[in-house]
Amino acid sequence: MIALIIIVLVVLALIALIVVGYFVGIYNILVTLRNNIKKSWANIDVLLKQRSDELPKLIASVKGYMKHEAGTLNDLTKARTSFLNAKSMGAKAKADGQISAALKTIFAVAENYPNLKANETFLQLQNRISGIENELADRREFYNDSVNQWNIRIQSFPDMIVANMMKAQPHEMYKIAEEDRKDVKVEF
Amino acid sequence: MFDFRVLLLGLFLFGFGLLLFFGGFKALRRRRVIQALPTSTVRSLAMGLVEVYGDVVVAKETLKTPLQGESCVYYHYTIEEYRRQGKSSRWVTIKQGSRGVTFFLRDKTGKVLVDPTGAEIDLTRDFHVESRTGSNPPASVISFLKANNMNFENFLGFNKQMRYSESYLTPGDKVYILGTAGKNPDVKAGTAVESVQGIMLQKGGKSEPEYYISDKSEKEVLAAQQWKVVGGLVGGPALIVGGLAVILLYFGLF
Repeated sequence: MIALIIIVLVVLALIALIVVGYFVGIYNILVTLRNNIKKSWANIDVLLKQRSDELPKLIASVKGYMKHEAGTLNDLTKARTSFLNAKSMGAKAKADGQISAALKTIFAVAENYPNLKANETFLQLQNRISGIENELADRREFYNDSVNQWNIRIQSFPDMIVANMMKAQPHEMYKIAEEDRKDVKVEF
Repeated sequence: MFDFRVLLLGLFLFGFGLLLFFGGFKALRRRRVIQALPTSTVRSLAMGLVEVYGDVVVAKETLKTPLQGESCVYYHYTIEEYRRQGKSSRWVTIKQGSRGVTFFLRDKTGKVLVDPTGAEIDLTRDFHVESRTGSNPPASVISFLKANNMNFENFLGFNKQMRYSESYLTPGDKVYILGTAGKNPDVKAGTAVESVQGIMLQKGGKSEPEYYISDKSEKEVLAAQQWKVVGGLVGGPALIVGGLAVILLYFGLF
């Protein structure tokens, strides 16, 4: 009889351990996912700042050559100012899209200026900024994957039980406006 | 009163069950981390826990696998002998070893340095042969045995029953890595042309204990972890209860 009681108690303790461990695991993974989102946004923000720091140098290097493209350069300056003043992620994403679109135009239009294309400083800046743009594209995708994972988890059973206790809310994807994604058409 | 070996069996089952049980929780944790972490491209790597998938590329040097002489960046080998003792018989590991060197992982966006030191490396077996009476091991294995003062023949000159296996990572192999992106010690701060040059995948600190390298895809890794979870969380408790029942039986409480 004693043996049976011991075995039943051990079985119950093991079941309790599995259930508690399972839910603690869910809590930990939700915390990891939330931190992933914060970290991946911080990783985007770092690159946005790096790119923003390069823009005045780029504008200074092309200003002398692109006298007929004052409007485009002005758009870039405005977009940079919007980015520097942006506080929320949405505002930063909007400014990011505008900067990317303006940069696309500048690099495409630069093809019309052979002297500019031969300028070493411009080429270095173009390579550097294009490199940051590529890294940004990957990190935006990573951020959206992280957000997607989070949003799916907090709405799936049994994770939603823990998510509700944590008062977890869905996050928004990093979106760039459709007009800023379009390819630039340049007339030669 | 039961034989003392019954108590030993009970303790063994209980202890093994505990190991399996906690192994199941570890596998569950790893499985969740893998599911939660999106795969990064090399170009977008940032410091911290990351998951990457790509090809093995030689960094500075390669190694030769001990049993086959294949060029690789990591190997693990095992030599076992079949031994009989009374009525029982079993395979006994008589020599094993592993070694790795730093290598690059390359995907379509770039390559990143990997230091495999401290990683749990899970590879499919690339080489496996057995020697027994009438069947000698390959020449490369014989020369390794000789170099290590080991013999595949017994004192009568008959072949012992032995098996030799090897798994390795060679250049071009696909590799999955869950690990920490940290600083590359070979690159001075601020001198990297691309940010990824300043990064090396390595074993993280206490807050990021996961460091796992496999030649399987993420899907296959998840499936393997699933089996470990089921085995650990179902088989573990079963062995614990079974072991406990045997111990109680030994003490006459049943």
